[in-house]
Amino acid sequence: MIVPYSHILMFAGILFAMGIFCAVARRNLIMMLIGVEIMLNAAGLAFVAAALRWQQLEGQVFVLFIFAIAAAEVSVGLALIVYAYRRTGSLDPETYNILRW
Amino acid sequence: MMNVWTLFIPELYCLLMAVVFFGLAMSARPNPRRDYFAALFMAGVGVVVALACVRLEGTLFFEAYRVDLFSQVFKVMLAMGFFLVVCLCTELNGIEERHHPEFYLFLTTCTLAMMMLVSSVELLTIYVALELSSYSLYILVPLRRGHGVDVEAGIKYLMVGACASAVMLFGLSYVFGVTHTTYLVEIIHVLPGVIGTPAAIVGLLLVLCGFFFKLAVFPFHFWAPDVYQGAANQVTAYIATASKVAAVAIIMRVVALSGGSSKYLVDMLVTLSIASMTLGNLVAIVQKDMKRLLAYSSISHAGYVLIGILSMSATGYASAIFYALAYLVMNLCCFLVVVKVSHDGSDLKIAQLAGLHRRAPLLAMALMLAVFGLAGIPPTIGFTGKFLVFAAAMEKGYVALVIIAMINATISLYYYILVVKAAYLMEPDEELPRLPVSIPTKVLTVALVTAMVVFGVAPSYLLEVARAAARMLM
Repeated sequence: MIVPYSHILMFAGILFAMGIFCAVARRNLIMMLIGVEIMLNAAGLAFVAAALRWQQLEGQVFVLFIFAIAAAEVSVGLALIVYAYRRTGSLDPETYNILRW
Repeated sequence: MMNVWTLFIPELYCLLMAVVFFGLAMSARPNPRRDYFAALFMAGVGVVVALACVRLEGTLFFEAYRVDLFSQVFKVMLAMGFFLVVCLCTELNGIEERHHPEFYLFLTTCTLAMMMLVSSVELLTIYVALELSSYSLYILVPLRRGHGVDVEAGIKYLMVGACASAVMLFGLSYVFGVTHTTYLVEIIHVLPGVIGTPAAIVGLLLVLCGFFFKLAVFPFHFWAPDVYQGAANQVTAYIATASKVAAVAIIMRVVALSGGSSKYLVDMLVTLSIASMTLGNLVAIVQKDMKRLLAYSSISHAGYVLIGILSMSATGYASAIFYALAYLVMNLCCFLVVVKVSHDGSDLKIAQLAGLHRRAPLLAMALMLAVFGLAGIPPTIGFTGKFLVFAAAMEKGYVALVIIAMINATISLYYYILVVKAAYLMEPDEELPRLPVSIPTKVLTVALVTAMVVFGVAPSYLLEVARAAARMLM
């Protein structure tokens, strides 16, 4: 490996933190969903790096599955967001805060 | 070759059910009676199938999938939970009629996914099964006909759930990076050696996060009250019972990985358990909505189950299995009353229980026993469950933890008694008619109540099964 494993882990960690930030701080449901996708990609990166480090294909297979699952997640998520938008006319998560305590 | 597929029969049967409901969902005219009876019949057969397969043992799919007593016992519980939830669907008023087949379809896929979850012994299989069960639930929650609360609950569930599963996946990547294998059997050998390294322990904890979300343990509990309230009553009943049971199973499998040698992991689990119990019980006190109250009570019960798991001994795991079963029965009994009392499918306020002892004496009695069981009062199954869990923790010397748990159990008694008080001592403002309780409902109620009391007084048979199942983990 040209790039050390620890560097990639660090990079994946930073990417993951950015994803969390995007998912938590953004005030738009679609952007929050994108944040989650970034988190998934960070995990995928760590998998590929680990696969390369140990010369084992499982990590790469895992990434392929992550692609498929992320697609399923986006389709469920977007369907729900479209439904919510039709019902309330807003994508701002603040709208969805009637239930408390 | 034939032999291999017999191991997979409960799951194949679930898949068949899903196909049937998919077919029913395609039909042009909605027919709720047909859907209900189809679901009831097939779910009933599902329990029989799961029971018939309980003694099977073997591995499938390149050893990624293990069928043993542990997984089969949980499959029986899941099939039973599914069947009982379907029993509650006689008046499925919370969901539009044309969506009924889809409701059953997603319940079935969720059950299928959880059956696969309790059998998987490979990280990728676990991840895929967990996601399948989550996505089914994400769709079930906003299916409710109604007033906007369902959308909010659905969005919150999806967002929190997606984040939790992403966190878990990141943890999986660390575990894979440290142990260079995805098979739990091999991880068991490698992980105790490297458990001291930060990457391994961080990875394992992040993986547990995903499961803690399912179980609604303290830092991941935010979704529970909102989803419980926002989802249709029957969906809530399913989330509160079957999905919790599956979460307990998979947490046990993953915690058993550490081999009981990690101090950090135990400390972490102790902290989470205490936090869940205390927060759940304290917040439950102020609840006015019955389903929200049950949500907070489920958070505290997640804490009790963790006590059994963190003991990391055969007794501890056996007690946790027993507790999961007890919780399934008690909670289903509570939800039976909730569903029957609010038969128009609306949310049930605790105050609306007033006068229940006159409107439906049997339901009031069932509610009282179930609630006392949740509080841990003998001679119900809930007391036995709590006793076993605490005894397992005492064996390991966690005295302080058990004392805190007992204080918590006492606190929880307060709000459980409020529910009983509403049902027995309060009178409604205006005279309400008697609740019609059909014969099958009566049979079901009596069966649940009998199960709660009989297995509370004489738990030895179930305990033997739980012990035998727990031995598979060690």
